[in-house]
Amino acid sequence: MTRRDFIAASSAVAVTAAFARLAGAQKTDQKTDQQPDQQVRTTMSGPMDEGRYRPVLRPAKPNAMASMTDVQRDELEHGIHCMCGCTLDIYTCRTTDFTCPVSPSMHADVVRLVAGGYSGPEILAAFVLVYGERVLMSPPRSGFNWAAYLAPFVALGAGGILVAALVRHWRPVAATTTAASASPPGLPAAETSAGMNEAPAGRPTAAEATPEELAKLDAALRDDRA
Amino acid sequence: MILVGELSLWVALLVSGWACVVSFAGGALGRDDLVASGARAVYATWAFVVLASLGLWTALLTHDFSFRYVASFTSANLPRVYTLTAFWGGQAGSLLFWALILTSYSAIAVWTNRARNRVLMPYVAGTLAAITLFFLATLCLGANPYERLGWIPPDGNGMNPQLQNPGMAIHPPNLYLGYVATAVPFAFAIAALITRRLDAEWLAAVRRWSLVSWFFLTIGITLGMWWAYVELGWGGYWMWDPVENASLLPWLTGTAFLHSIMIQEKRGMLRKWNVVLVVSTFLLAILGTFITRSGVINSVHSFAQSRVGTWFAGLLALTLGVTVYLVATRLKDLKSTAQLESMASREAAFLYNNLLFVGIAFSVLWGTLFPILSEAVRGTKITVGAPFFNAVNVPLGLLLFALTGIGPLIAWRRASLPNLRRQFAVPVFGGVAVLAILLALGMREWHALVAYALAGFVGTTILQEFYKGIGARMRIHGEHAIAAGMRLIARNRRRYGGYIVHAGVVILFCAFAGRVFRHDYDETLRAGQSVSLTDPYGHRWRFVNSGVSVFDVLNRHVTAVSLKPTRDGKPMPLIESEKRQHFDTRGAPLFEPSTAVGILGSPSQDVYVVLTGVRGDDAAEVRITFNPLVWWVWAGGVLMAFGGLIVMWPQADRARARSGYHAVMQPEASIAGD
Repeated sequence: MTRRDFIAASSAVAVTAAFARLAGAQKTDQKTDQQPDQQVRTTMSGPMDEGRYRPVLRPAKPNAMASMTDVQRDELEHGIHCMCGCTLDIYTCRTTDFTCPVSPSMHADVVRLVAGGYSGPEILAAFVLVYGERVLMSPPRSGFNWAAYLAPFVALGAGGILVAALVRHWRPVAATTTAASASPPGLPAAETSAGMNEAPAGRPTAAEATPEELAKLDAALRDDRA
Repeated sequence: MILVGELSLWVALLVSGWACVVSFAGGALGRDDLVASGARAVYATWAFVVLASLGLWTALLTHDFSFRYVASFTSANLPRVYTLTAFWGGQAGSLLFWALILTSYSAIAVWTNRARNRVLMPYVAGTLAAITLFFLATLCLGANPYERLGWIPPDGNGMNPQLQNPGMAIHPPNLYLGYVATAVPFAFAIAALITRRLDAEWLAAVRRWSLVSWFFLTIGITLGMWWAYVELGWGGYWMWDPVENASLLPWLTGTAFLHSIMIQEKRGMLRKWNVVLVVSTFLLAILGTFITRSGVINSVHSFAQSRVGTWFAGLLALTLGVTVYLVATRLKDLKSTAQLESMASREAAFLYNNLLFVGIAFSVLWGTLFPILSEAVRGTKITVGAPFFNAVNVPLGLLLFALTGIGPLIAWRRASLPNLRRQFAVPVFGGVAVLAILLALGMREWHALVAYALAGFVGTTILQEFYKGIGARMRIHGEHAIAAGMRLIARNRRRYGGYIVHAGVVILFCAFAGRVFRHDYDETLRAGQSVSLTDPYGHRWRFVNSGVSVFDVLNRHVTAVSLKPTRDGKPMPLIESEKRQHFDTRGAPLFEPSTAVGILGSPSQDVYVVLTGVRGDDAAEVRITFNPLVWWVWAGGVLMAFGGLIVMWPQADRARARSGYHAVMQPEASIAGD
C-alpha cells in the first residue's frame, strides 16, 4: 500500500465519521419531545390511512347478471391493492387484517361491479380511474412499466451474450493452453473417492492417463483405504 | 451495570476508531507493533460492546422506563422472554445487536488468523473496525439505546404483538448473524485488493465465513417465512415484501459466490467476478438494513424505522465508491490464470448458475426499487407486488432449478457427447417418469408440472451421485452401504453436503409448487352451525363451530373460536383461532388487535383457520384455507441448513490431506506454472 492509498483510505473513514456526526446532529435537533415513541393506528405494514377509500361506482349494465363466480371474484381481488397503507391485496387484507376499514369497502365496490355485469378488466380499469395505477398489485404492461418486466430478462440476456463472447474470445488461448498442459493438478477428492467410474471429458480416461496421474490416483486411493 | 453499559458504548466507539487507524497504519507502514495494537483494540471493542449489551439487557429486565428505548418497546407485564428479545425489537437495540455480532465476528476472525494471513490481517482488522466504527457512531450519535426521557412513565408502550412470537425471538438473530457475517469476507476482499494478493489465499480464508453467512441466512429466511405464516394470518409464507426481498438478495449473491469460488479454487478463473460477488453480498446486506430502517419502501416487517436510513445510504455510497476504486486500479491483478474451454463443461454450468443467481437478484432488487423509479421518472405511484415477482422470477427460478440437476452431471473442462449421454440418461428418465405419472393422474397446472418434473430430474441426479459414490466405496473398500454412505459424506463434505443442500432445494420447489392447489373459503358460522368443504386431495371436510369464547390471559384480551373438524367423517383435532387485544398494566389497550392462526398441520397439507371477525355474540367469520405441502417448506429449509452445516464442518487436516483437499485448494500456482 502506498502512502497515497493510505491517505485515501483514512480520508474515506473521516468522511464517514463526519457524515455520521452531521446526521446525528440533525437527529438530535428533531428530538424535541420527551415521550416514548408513540404507537399509532397501524396496518400490518405501517400507519393506517383510513381516509384513502374512494367509492368506485358504475351504473349496472342493462339486464346485468353477475359477471363471474365468487372464486373468480376473489382471484380478481388478489390483483387489487388495498389502499389502507398496507402491502396486501384487498382479498388478503379483508380476510386477515380485520381492523382495516378500507378493504371491506373496496370489496363491496368489487361485488357491486360484478353484480352490475362488469368484466374483470373493466373493474380493474374502473379502479385505476379512481385511484391511479398504484391500485393494481402489479404494474400494467404498458409504456414505461415494460421496463419493469423486461429489464431482468434483458440484463440476463446481456449477461448470457457477454459470457458467450468471453468464451469465444478465450477459446483460442485455451486451445493452446490445453495442448501444452496436462490435466488439472491434483485430482479432486470428489473424483477420487466417488466419481471414479466417470471419465470427465478433456481429462484423459483411465486408459489414457499419464503415469504421474495414475500414480497420484493410486496414492489417493491407498490413503483413502488406510 | 446500566451506567457501565452506557459508558462502554462510548469507550467502544473510541477504541474501534483506534483499531481502525492503527491497523491500517500498521499494515501500510509494516509496523508489527501497530498491527498488534490494532488486534488488541479489536478484542477490547468486543469486550466494551458486550458490556454495553449487558447494560441494555439489565435496563430491559429491571423495567427502567427512564430510558426511551425500554419505555417504547416493553411494558411491565411483557413476558420475560420477550423482554429479553426486545433487545432487537426496536431500532437502537437492533443496531447494538448488530454491533455485538460484528465485534464478536471481528474478534474471532482476528484470533483465528493470528498466525495466518499476516499480510492481509491488518487490513482485515482495519476494515472490520471501520464498519464497527460506523455502527457505534450510528448508535452513539443517531439512535442511542441509552437515551433518557425527561421523566419516568409508570409503564411502557409494550411490544408489538406480532413480535411476541417464538419465531421472532430467534428469526432476527439468525438473520443478523447471516447479514453481519458478510462483513468478514468483504473485509478479506478489501484487504486482498489493497495488498494486491488476489490469489486463492484470501478465498480459502473467506470460504467458511461465507458459509457461516449462508447458513444463518438460510435459517433466518426459513424462520421468517414460518413467522409470517403463523403470525400474520394471510395464509402464505412469502409475499415478496421489500424486507423479505432484502434478506433474499445477499442470500442469492452469497450462494452464487459459494458456487463460483469452486471455479477459482479448481481452475483459477472468475477472480474479478468473485470479488464482485463478495462485495455485492455485503452491500446487499447493508441495503437490506437501509430498506428496513429508512422506511423508503413500505413493508410488513418494518418494525424499527427511523432516520438512520440516511446513515446507511452514506455507508452504501462510501463502500461502493471505495470498492469500485480498488477493483478498477487492480484489474491486472485480477486476471484469470486459466480460460473456459467449452460451453459444455462444469465451469460453464457454474457460469450459467451464477448468471441466473445474479439475474434473479437483479430482478428482485429491480422490482423492489421500481416503485421509487416510477415515481421519479413518471411521477406515478405504482405497486409492485407478488404477481410481478412471480411472473418474472418463477421462470428464472425454474431454469436455475434445472441447472441444479445439470451442473453435477457435466465434467470439468469439456464434456463429450458419450459422457453427457451416460450421465443424463437416468436423471432425464426420472424427470420424464414423474411428468408422465402426474399427467396420468390428471394434473394440468403447467407450472406445477414443470416444477415436479424438474424435481424428478434433479432428485434422480442427486440419488445417482450418491449411488455411484457409495457403490465405488463398497467395491473398493468392501464397506456396507450405510457405512459407505456415511464415510462418503464425511470424506467429502463439500461435495456431498452440497448435494444434501440440493435435496433441500428439491423439497422446497415441490412445496412451492403445492401453492397452486391452495383453496380458500370465507364462511360465517353461528355456534353449532357447520360447513362442508372439499380439500385439494378430494377429501370432504366438515367444520362445526363449537362457539366463540372471550377471556383474558397474561397481557391480552382474547376472543377465540373453536372449530371441530371431521375429514371424510373421521374426527380430527380441534382448531382454534384467536383475536388478541394486548393491554398494559392499567388495562389500557396497546396496539391494534392481532391474529393467532389455528393450524391443523400434516405433511400433505395444512388446514389454516383465521378468525376474521365476530358478528353479534356467537357468529364467527372465518377464513379456512387448505394449504398443500407447506410442511415441506420447513423441512426443505432445515435440510438445506443441515447440508450447509456438513459443508462447513471443519475437516481434520489428516482427512483433508488424504482426500486431496490441499491439492484442490492450490491449483492456481500449478496451472500458472504450466
